[in-house]
Amino acid sequence: MKDFDLKLPENLDAAIGELPAEYTREGAQVLAGGQDIVTVMKDDIEQPAALVSLQRLGLDGIEWDGDGGVTLGATVTVQALADDAGLERAFPALREAAQSIGSPQIRSQATLGGNLNQRPRCPYYRHPSVSCFKKGGSVCLAEFGFNKYAAIFGGGPSYFSHPSDLATVLLMLGATASISGPGGERKVPLAELYVLPEESLETETVLRPDEILTSVTIPAPPAETRSSYLKFKERASYDFALAAVAVSVVLDGSGVVTDARVVLGGVAPKPWEVPAAARALIGKSMGPEAWTAAGAAAVADADPLEHNGYKVHLVKGLVFRALESLA
Amino acid sequence: MSRPTSGPVASDPSWGNRSDLDVLNRDIPRVDGPVKATGEAVYTHDVRLPDMLWARVLVHPVPRAEIESIDVEAASEMPGVVHIEALKEPGDAVRYLGDDAVLAVVAAETPDQAADALGAIVVKARRLAPVVTPEQALKEGAPVVSRRRKADSNVGRANERGDEAVADAALAGAVAVVERTFVVPIQHHVCLETHGHVVQPAPDNEQVTVYASTQSVGGTPRGLARTLGRDASKIRVLTPHMGGGFGSKFGPGLEGALAARVANVTGRPVHLMLTRADEFAIAGNRSGSRQKLKVGADSDGRLVGLKLEADKLGGVSGGSLPGPPYIYTVTDGAAVFSKIRSVHTATDGSRAMRAPGHPQASFAMEAAVDELGYLLGMDLVDIRIRNLESAVHHRQLRRVAEEIGWADHPNRDRPGAAVNGRAVGIGFGVSVWGPGGRSSRCDVTVRPDGSVVSATATQDLGTGARTYVAAIVAEELGLTVDMVEARIGDSDLPPSVTSGGSVTTGSSAPAIKDAAHKAREGLEALLTDVLEAPVGSYVWKDGRVSVRGDASRSLPWIAVCALLREPLLAQGEFRDFLHEGRIHGAQAAKVEVDTLTGRVKVLKMVTCQDQGLPLNRLALRSQINGGMVQALSYGLLEQRVFDEQDGFLLSDNLDLYKIAGSQEIPEMVALIDDEDERPSVCGMAEAPVIPGHSAIAGAIHNACGARLTRMPFTADNVLETLYGKI
Amino acid sequence: MREMDPSSGEPSAISRRSFLKGATQVAAAGGIIGGAPASEQGTAVEPEVETLSGSSSMELLVNGKSRSVEVQPRTTLLHALRNQMKPPLTGTKEVCGTGSCGACTVLIDGQPAYSCLTLAVTCAGRPVTTVEGFGSADAMSDVQQSFCDKDGMMCGFCTPGFVVATHAALDRAPKATLDELKYELSGNFCRCGTYPHVFDAAQAVQKDRARGEDGR
Repeated sequence: MKDFDLKLPENLDAAIGELPAEYTREGAQVLAGGQDIVTVMKDDIEQPAALVSLQRLGLDGIEWDGDGGVTLGATVTVQALADDAGLERAFPALREAAQSIGSPQIRSQATLGGNLNQRPRCPYYRHPSVSCFKKGGSVCLAEFGFNKYAAIFGGGPSYFSHPSDLATVLLMLGATASISGPGGERKVPLAELYVLPEESLETETVLRPDEILTSVTIPAPPAETRSSYLKFKERASYDFALAAVAVSVVLDGSGVVTDARVVLGGVAPKPWEVPAAARALIGKSMGPEAWTAAGAAAVADADPLEHNGYKVHLVKGLVFRALESLA
Repeated sequence: MSRPTSGPVASDPSWGNRSDLDVLNRDIPRVDGPVKATGEAVYTHDVRLPDMLWARVLVHPVPRAEIESIDVEAASEMPGVVHIEALKEPGDAVRYLGDDAVLAVVAAETPDQAADALGAIVVKARRLAPVVTPEQALKEGAPVVSRRRKADSNVGRANERGDEAVADAALAGAVAVVERTFVVPIQHHVCLETHGHVVQPAPDNEQVTVYASTQSVGGTPRGLARTLGRDASKIRVLTPHMGGGFGSKFGPGLEGALAARVANVTGRPVHLMLTRADEFAIAGNRSGSRQKLKVGADSDGRLVGLKLEADKLGGVSGGSLPGPPYIYTVTDGAAVFSKIRSVHTATDGSRAMRAPGHPQASFAMEAAVDELGYLLGMDLVDIRIRNLESAVHHRQLRRVAEEIGWADHPNRDRPGAAVNGRAVGIGFGVSVWGPGGRSSRCDVTVRPDGSVVSATATQDLGTGARTYVAAIVAEELGLTVDMVEARIGDSDLPPSVTSGGSVTTGSSAPAIKDAAHKAREGLEALLTDVLEAPVGSYVWKDGRVSVRGDASRSLPWIAVCALLREPLLAQGEFRDFLHEGRIHGAQAAKVEVDTLTGRVKVLKMVTCQDQGLPLNRLALRSQINGGMVQALSYGLLEQRVFDEQDGFLLSDNLDLYKIAGSQEIPEMVALIDDEDERPSVCGMAEAPVIPGHSAIAGAIHNACGARLTRMPFTADNVLETLYGKI
Repeated sequence: MREMDPSSGEPSAISRRSFLKGATQVAAAGGIIGGAPASEQGTAVEPEVETLSGSSSMELLVNGKSRSVEVQPRTTLLHALRNQMKPPLTGTKEVCGTGSCGACTVLIDGQPAYSCLTLAVTCAGRPVTTVEGFGSADAMSDVQQSFCDKDGMMCGFCTPGFVVATHAALDRAPKATLDELKYELSGNFCRCGTYPHVFDAAQAVQKDRARGEDGR
């Protein structure tokens, strides 16, 4: 790891002032819990001349509005999300996602903002000697190489799958991110936060290099909503998602689905909402038939590579299992 | 300082009746537990010497290349750099990703400075076709990567055994025939402590001290003698503690030679431990294989014919695979034909790894036996017993079957089917190992103050060897384990064996026993005047000695030792009759398969293992559990991954090279086979790693009918086996 | 090149050798510092951005004692413990260097953390507990003693990390079921396959502690 300067700003404006307007591999970057950026720097993927710490900005609050919505500060730890009793009651899927992340050591240090902004886990991207689209190169070696973990949706020209569990569940929950930059603050729905490789290769989000994601607001869920986050890890202990499903359904009194939302994780370069899966559920009774139909609809547009076709089976199964857990 | 035991030996040592043992065959907490649990144990990684340099090696990122230049000039001028050396010249080739890919070595005042300098070395190289898969190696016109000088292809000489026509005829007459091709990936040892050494140079007339993470303190001086330019007797190797070896740490390797060289050149202590990425690239592996196996059985389930064609995939090394039939017996030995060859790739050579070749062979053979059982409608335990000669295996299989709940399991003679996508299955496997014992020595010293030292140049890889070095002596002299100091991990101590192939216990324990017995008789010789009974008629128990049959004639230990005018030294040797040659094991695994997602969850694993007299039941259960865990990890998760286009080793880290963690671990039952009453001891660590993954594969098949013919049993493998590849 | 900042009254354990305060240094750094308009900079009393650069000395609070170490911003806590302290604290092990194995686990502010992913400079003023902080071979913690009793170790290289993680797990979830214990210990990896005995050790501590509470 190359050495760098550590900036410890006392306020948000000062922090933003330390960040560069244009991305370069050597430009200053944000440091929150450090659980991803330090690995990125150890692998020489990025070599920022400075890290700008959010440590002193007090962005670690969990604040409820009067209507059942909540705003989560960017430096709230993943462990705090997993432990918070209010979040557990209101957004059980968020808690399930937080609990599924990393390990106790990671959860106690990693932050909400860091999780949403983490970099790809593609083994080519992470390999110090490999050049690829994501590192300013001109090829995606995963496309025709080792692509067992790669995207089956939204790939091209790069085929990594986005690793964030919180992004997947927060998109399903209809959350909005607050982003501050030199021009002030803007609100970006999670559904618009992430970009595909065809839109941008140097970043995975709409954040500009001099912007900081400061918080995420989740609106109150409709009454009678049931939600779940089901993550499939190749290794049960401490692993990223091979695929994940965040799902919510609203049921009427007779068990018929009146509204639904299905978002997939680990299968695309960004959290991947599948409206067709939701449509397959609406108007149906909760049961194996509807779950199977939703699973089939979820993968209808999948476009797998040579070694990740199994994810099509897997997503079908996961959608089924996630819905089954809500019945 | 000491005098040898006087007088002739009155009797041969013996392990005694099990019912009389006070220390051995019980749970003995390991003697180095406290230093390990508190972080006080010093491993080679932890050695810090005054003025010590930190060395690193530069490994080329791809297996094959032609070096155009290695420019170390800028790096050599960086702060703190004391020594830097390119190991290849322009025009040299990198022939494989292993020690041949080490391009340079750097030594600096701090670890960061060494790493920075490494990053500043400018390498220009022309990358060549990688040759990392057997397909690439076998392609017509493929570059020859073999280490053998005159090799003209990447295929080693095939080892053919048996008469193919006889085997074919037997198979043609079989009632049931199974033919499958099994693919076993390459596994890494993943010693948590990477390979490496700390070398402290010394003037010519003094000993060089080398701290080594090694399975052979005794062999390492010879391995470094040439590099250090001195006789092995002038090199002292210390391995106070080591963080795992599993077969990969027998010699000093290139990293040891480089540490020694840099220490020689600079005259300063040098700390050179491989990084994790280096370790994956150049520190060895368990060879993979492709095995095309055809086995036939008669209507009684007896194996009547077998054919195996196999490629061993050991990189630039040969790889290992025992010849068939593995453990099981074919009624007519002439009806077994095998053709086994090595296919070389430009990748790190395989090394020994816990039961080399055996888990690979087990994977194919156990699957074939299972499937023959199903074809014939036979119970999976019955068909095994029918084809295993040893009655020990029979009783062990029945025992694990009982423990896993086989009698109540519905799928005893046919695979089951999933209900709501969930299926439970049970599988079995067996193991053998023949470690034996060989020459080893031990010194036991009893001092007038009552202190006792047991010393031998063995090493404790985590097996618990250090603990029995003390415990065997404690048993013989009627002491508690903490009254005996165990000294190991030092090449200056009485020589013992390299720890490989489970030979340590069978070799060193008899020597320790012999030394302890001689010490006891030496003390008894002193007592003949005091307690007035001849040598051989004393009972040593609970810190006292008494005359057998007359408890009133007795002395406490400390009073016995006070009779010594100088320390009593007893020199023990390997005694053949104290060790055992052959061991057996059986395992069962129970799994749940989610056929919708491909999740395999192992619910329970059971092992029954014999090993003669158990020295330490607690450490023995640890070793049995460890074998099961490693086999489970091998089966469920482990796979070396190369990029096949350019040859990058992608799995050079613990993110992609996944080993089992706590949430993979099922209920584990380690049954010590106490029906084995052999009055002798035997190493056992290899056996329990052999069949676990085979039992898991069998259990998956038994659950839902998916016969996985390749490892690991990850979701992609399960789903593609069930539903086909998309 | 940098001096102690005498104006800092904050009880930060980092020596403020590298404050960027003056306009010349800002210019030298090639940019405008801080979010406030440049016209206000001359009048600012509190610096808005502290900068740590290059080697500097800091105090780390390790196992209850303040220890002086020379670090760079890039120096990980693991590296500071093992290589920069005098005498070094080598109980904490480096196995993967990428936060993938748990051998380097320490407590920071009482929470488990991978010291290989933690920058030492971010630990100023935060108590750090390493395996050495829980006990010594002569006076072991209950967890350490239980690891010995149950043989929760083989080669021992993962053991310090497991001991710290087990302390953290039992603090967090004193009544954890076996499955919950496995979850709480899922950030630590062992190659020898010691897990079953580690679980035994943790459960034995649970029983002992529960008995202790009943006794009170």
